[in-house]
Amino acid sequence: MKLTRYISISLLTGALLLTGAACNKKLDVVPGQSITPDQIQTAADVKAVLFGAYNSMQHFNAFGERYPLIADLLGSAGQTAFVGTFVDYRDVYNKAMVSSNSIASGIWGRAYIIISSANTVLAKADLLDENERDAITAEARFIRGVTYFELVNFFALPYSAGNQTVNEAVPLILDPVEVYDASKDIKPRAKVAEVYAQILSDLTEAADKMPATNPNGRATKYSALAFLSRVYLAQQKYTEAATAANEVITKSGLSLTATFDKAFNNISNSSEDVFAIQQNNQSNAGTSNNGLTTMYAAYSLEPSGRGDVTVAPTYLDLYEDGDDRKAFVYEGDGIAGNQGSTYTGKWTLFYKAIPVVRLSEMYLTRAEANARSGGAQVGANTPLQDVNFVRARANATALATVTADQVVQERFRELAFEGDWLWTKKRLKMNVGTKVYTDNFLVLPVPQRERDVNKQLTQNPGYDQ
Amino acid sequence: MRRIYSLLAGMLLVMSQFAYAQQKTITGKVTDAKDGSDLPGVTVQVKGTAVGTATGINGTYTVTLPKGANTLVFSFIGYASQEITVTNQSTVNISMSTGNKDLSEVVVVGYGTQTKRDITGSVAKVSSHEIENFPAPSFESAIQGKAAGVVIESGSGKVGQGLKVRIRGTSSISASSQPLYVIDGLPIQTASQSDVNNEITNPVADLNPNDIESIEVLKDASATAIYGARGANGVVLVTTKKGRAGQKTVLSLDMNTSWGKPTKKRHFLNAKQYVDLIEEAAVNDGKIDFANGDTGYDTEADAIADYKSYYEGLLDNYALGTDWSKQAVDVNWEDQLYRKVAHGNQVNLSASGGNEKTRFFASGFYNDQDAVVIVNRFKRYGGRLNLEHSATDKLSLGLNLSITRSELNRVSDDNSYSTPGQIVAQIPISPLIDPETGKLNKRTLYANGLVDAALNSDVQTTFRSLGNAYASYNFLPWLSFRSEFGADIMSFYQEGFVGKDATDGGGIGKGQNFSTQAVSFNTNNYFTISPVLGGKHKLTATLGMSYLQNDTKSNSIQAEGYPSDAVKNLSGATNVTFGSSTNDRYDFLSYFLRANYSFNDKYLLGASVRTDGSSRFGPNNRWGTFPAVSAGWVISQEDFLKSQQTLSFLKLRASYGFTGNAEIGEYQYLSLYNISNYPGLPGFVPSQLANPDLHWEKTKQFDVGLEFGLFKGRLSGEVDYYDKKTSDLLLAVNIPSTTGYSFITQNLGKLSNKGVELTLNSINFDGPFRWTTSFNIAYNKNRITDIQGQIIEAGQQRAVEGEAIGAFFLQKYLGVDPATGDALYEDKDGKPTTSYNQAVRKVVGNSNPDFTGGFNNTFSYKGFDLSAFFTFVQGNEIYNRAGVYQSASFGGSLDNQTTEVLARWQKPGDITNVPRVSLSYPTGQRASSRWIYDGSYIRLKTVTLGYNIPKSVMAALKISSARVYVSGYNLWTKADYISDPEVSTAPLGGTSETSQNIVGGTDFYTIPQARQILVGLNVKF
Repeated sequence: MKLTRYISISLLTGALLLTGAACNKKLDVVPGQSITPDQIQTAADVKAVLFGAYNSMQHFNAFGERYPLIADLLGSAGQTAFVGTFVDYRDVYNKAMVSSNSIASGIWGRAYIIISSANTVLAKADLLDENERDAITAEARFIRGVTYFELVNFFALPYSAGNQTVNEAVPLILDPVEVYDASKDIKPRAKVAEVYAQILSDLTEAADKMPATNPNGRATKYSALAFLSRVYLAQQKYTEAATAANEVITKSGLSLTATFDKAFNNISNSSEDVFAIQQNNQSNAGTSNNGLTTMYAAYSLEPSGRGDVTVAPTYLDLYEDGDDRKAFVYEGDGIAGNQGSTYTGKWTLFYKAIPVVRLSEMYLTRAEANARSGGAQVGANTPLQDVNFVRARANATALATVTADQVVQERFRELAFEGDWLWTKKRLKMNVGTKVYTDNFLVLPVPQRERDVNKQLTQNPGYDQ
Repeated sequence: MRRIYSLLAGMLLVMSQFAYAQQKTITGKVTDAKDGSDLPGVTVQVKGTAVGTATGINGTYTVTLPKGANTLVFSFIGYASQEITVTNQSTVNISMSTGNKDLSEVVVVGYGTQTKRDITGSVAKVSSHEIENFPAPSFESAIQGKAAGVVIESGSGKVGQGLKVRIRGTSSISASSQPLYVIDGLPIQTASQSDVNNEITNPVADLNPNDIESIEVLKDASATAIYGARGANGVVLVTTKKGRAGQKTVLSLDMNTSWGKPTKKRHFLNAKQYVDLIEEAAVNDGKIDFANGDTGYDTEADAIADYKSYYEGLLDNYALGTDWSKQAVDVNWEDQLYRKVAHGNQVNLSASGGNEKTRFFASGFYNDQDAVVIVNRFKRYGGRLNLEHSATDKLSLGLNLSITRSELNRVSDDNSYSTPGQIVAQIPISPLIDPETGKLNKRTLYANGLVDAALNSDVQTTFRSLGNAYASYNFLPWLSFRSEFGADIMSFYQEGFVGKDATDGGGIGKGQNFSTQAVSFNTNNYFTISPVLGGKHKLTATLGMSYLQNDTKSNSIQAEGYPSDAVKNLSGATNVTFGSSTNDRYDFLSYFLRANYSFNDKYLLGASVRTDGSSRFGPNNRWGTFPAVSAGWVISQEDFLKSQQTLSFLKLRASYGFTGNAEIGEYQYLSLYNISNYPGLPGFVPSQLANPDLHWEKTKQFDVGLEFGLFKGRLSGEVDYYDKKTSDLLLAVNIPSTTGYSFITQNLGKLSNKGVELTLNSINFDGPFRWTTSFNIAYNKNRITDIQGQIIEAGQQRAVEGEAIGAFFLQKYLGVDPATGDALYEDKDGKPTTSYNQAVRKVVGNSNPDFTGGFNNTFSYKGFDLSAFFTFVQGNEIYNRAGVYQSASFGGSLDNQTTEVLARWQKPGDITNVPRVSLSYPTGQRASSRWIYDGSYIRLKTVTLGYNIPKSVMAALKISSARVYVSGYNLWTKADYISDPEVSTAPLGGTSETSQNIVGGTDFYTIPQARQILVGLNVKF
């Protein structure tokens, strides 16, 4: 009996250990809603990483809101007003940002997520099928090039300010980070010239190798050419800008929408969208605190936005009566209590495509670039014809003559609230209100958070060092 | 595993068939030392066995002593337990007394119990009567101030919210610092399951406080190391009530009702004050504009007139046609966010009893508590059954089972415009009711939170079942085996609805539905060995294993586009905007061993070791081992102290050991991509960077304590010093965003908590008039000793090397320039500057208190009892984060201001700390030390007056006892802070552990605590 007892006790002890051994395997737990990098094994997986970059571009810290909105608030000298309560936006609008501004850190952080995705696609290109490898890697380079262009615009003095080999821009990251290594991954800001060189290299490659059409609103060869035209304009390389714009106009097969209002609030790309960000009810830049529609659409609309960004009545003086673009506003209230304010009709509906480059911009770019280049005219149309073509669509009267500066005025009319004004003013060295184009507070601060973790990052002038 | 267990159960059955020879029967009687009366219901247990009985109605008992066993343990609630060693006698009569119960009191420790006198670790015990009827949603609130070194921040007057509980300080930065909760041996889930867009809730609130028999807080390493990897933050052991053998079934009914109001309001400007200050701002701004030449006015008067007309236009806008200049409307918006009275009702009915074979405790409760703030309400009901059955004198079986349903009506988090707390920003000339529509005014400065309160709903319903079944088998008097199977099943369901016309309703109505099933399965299996070594040697050892597996599955749906507000669930919506389901698991596998040895009841030694494996770490770093040793010396047993009478007890003890922390969430060691959704293009986005070297955070703790009793225990107490060092911190380390990631989790850095705790208990008067006092005070010094320059921040707070965690890191405010009324900040050279951009951030305060404690006095005379309990906190700071809006001299916005602003600068030469008022040229409005306040307070937490109806009356009513009582909570407070000092808003930017650890003492429109009066009745049949 005693023996039985000891056997039982030993068995129990053994059972405990066995139980443990059985449970030991259970300690290997696989994530339930994420994948690990070793699960990226096929061409489809690599493309999924590329599509993830599109999702990041849709984010409110990118094209989904802040690229266009912050450029307009920063570039505003009376034509728009931020009437909302969010302090960080109010500071941007007042050109009184501080280095901890969450908009600056948001734009910075999201841009590098986009870049990281693009870099990963490029690093894993060998998993792609031969027949699509060039096109997919070119698309990744488009995404990276475009993102660096936005970064250099927001965080550095403009190219037009000269000193491009001295002025600091943002760190250039061209490889994905797989394991963090402070000795490699803490990088100083590259110079403006270096970033522009990378952008041109990426976008040129993209324009070369991307397909002419791409499903689901993905970027095409012409999207890349359109951005190239913007980059050349910024560099005042007018012939190149006109050439790129002309390529888009003549070869893309795109056409202006029949009426001006048809260019906005569409379910997917309109006939004139050279590149647009797609949204739907389950994938969008935000509906309550963020997103272009949230900020721009009046609170009194249904579905309602916040109505935080209003249009100054004086802004409408830019247009002649009868111009459809002048009438493309409405009266509404804001969530902050303002009543009877004027709002733009460009961003009124949620879940719609966000035009990033419209074909009308290409006409205006070609017109301006031709007017400024002093060289041979690129394309079939004169600047006057191009401008009048755009005006005609909006039922504005045809101009008799046009100067380069008048083309710019047309650009302001056509592209208002689409994030173009600030960059146009900067490249042409125009004042923003009383501020000169190189004013400290027309450049975002390098986020304090980044400078806290990366001592090599210098701060832009005017902000706390 | 199931197979192994059926085998195990089978073996237990076989074993139960054996019996032993050479037993001995003992009989006796137990009496009350006070008056010699019979004591029924006293538990008589043969030490080290499941053999036991209870005294009958006349106090007598009979128990059979198995061979080898020779000690009887007599225990009875409220009386000091006694251990009697049986030699040759067959009759053991004893008398039990209430005095000096401290030493022989049974204390629950991990996987077992010990007597207070034998303990070599630091354990604080809080018993049931200190918890019962406390009108707080969760029992931990009742521990506040009762156990030295346990700091509980309830944070706000909302009900159902999460609590910050710290035992001996915050011991981690990025991993959870909340203690482990173990209820009747079952580690329970404490993570909030709430919707991530709201503040965290507290799953511990699902336990009915009236079911609790005792709470033991394990503080030092020797007590917590048996919980190894989960012990670094301290362990809270909860034991629920049990039935007693030999006792007639006792039915107890407890009912109470309470009335509450906020403890303190902030006080905002009335209409006259508001209008006057706006006019003053127009004058100030006009002067500045003219002086700067900004607009180019011809004269200063022109400028002022223009500003006046502009600002008055703004007032016209919000006055809705009423004459603001005559204050036709003067709304105190602050009053609107509170209920007139916050009611609470509790009913608790329990029954307990049993015989030698079977004991039971059963209870049911209903609890309905309003918060002081509108909308917020917490309703719970549930039941419990605790059963214990002695199948044979070897085998006992049992079950503890509770089921609770709770329903929490929530308001949005403090940071959302629609939350009632932010109603205070509305301006006093804004009418409550819109004269045009006759409805609640929607044309207010900010969206009117009252509209949201009326139209929106957010209800979370939780079903919680805690069940733990066990079997215990005594192979030999000195060897027993216990197996426990438990499950904590939480089913959580949240429905939110935002009406079409609500602030965030977008004119279309929005709804969401979120549900989670979180199931924790746990098994403990261990041997307890207490060999009879003879003579003066005593040894007890525990050896076993434990396995815990937690599965959390949840899904979430959001939709919008409701035809009307009538149908509030998602079937009323037409457009689904989000849908997702998730699935997470973690497990812990552990082996543990503990041994306690005592020699001659004088020299005590303890040692334990636990090995834990966790799924939270990669295969190479999965296992951690956590040893601890302790020793005690009962000096009062030494001959040189035995002769004197003053010092009745003196024990010196010390411990040293290691514990761990792995509360960082799942998969932190892996690189991860999340799934992204772009229209038509499902994809992967990088979300986390790997750290394959991630391993356990380790805390080593040294503790030395002295326990003493004087004058036969009339005065007793203990004092502890501890030094707790955490290294290999699991840190969410910020990395440059240029990597595509913002942080990685690393084992980096060290922090320490050092402190002293003192507890004193005294019986000042005994006899018909009895007066007892208990006092405790704890000092804790938290220091981050090394984080290698990492900057880890949340809101305005940081982890800074050389400082305590949660230092306020802000621009230093230097007051007001008497010449201009401009705010001054300290620049990098320590000089004043008016430029916020030139001001440097530095440590300007800390939310961690230096001293915390409590002070309790109870008096009883005849049928009356009175107790007054104070808690205090000293040495911490509070940052009013809403100050930038509500006390900023307008600071560029029209928000109503607290009356603090009345002290503003008005003319050159004014000496004040409040800058000039301004709407267009704001100054001093940004985050700075300007809104840091001393957070110290002392408050009368509880005062209770009770009356026990005399026995003579009772007999006539055929009930055995009845007590009526009235209690007051938070009736008196002394504090400097402008609102309630027990304040801590949820961290901005979510609920991550880092923010939970760093953020504290921050107020952002936070709802103050409740001041309550409670009237109750307790009847026993």
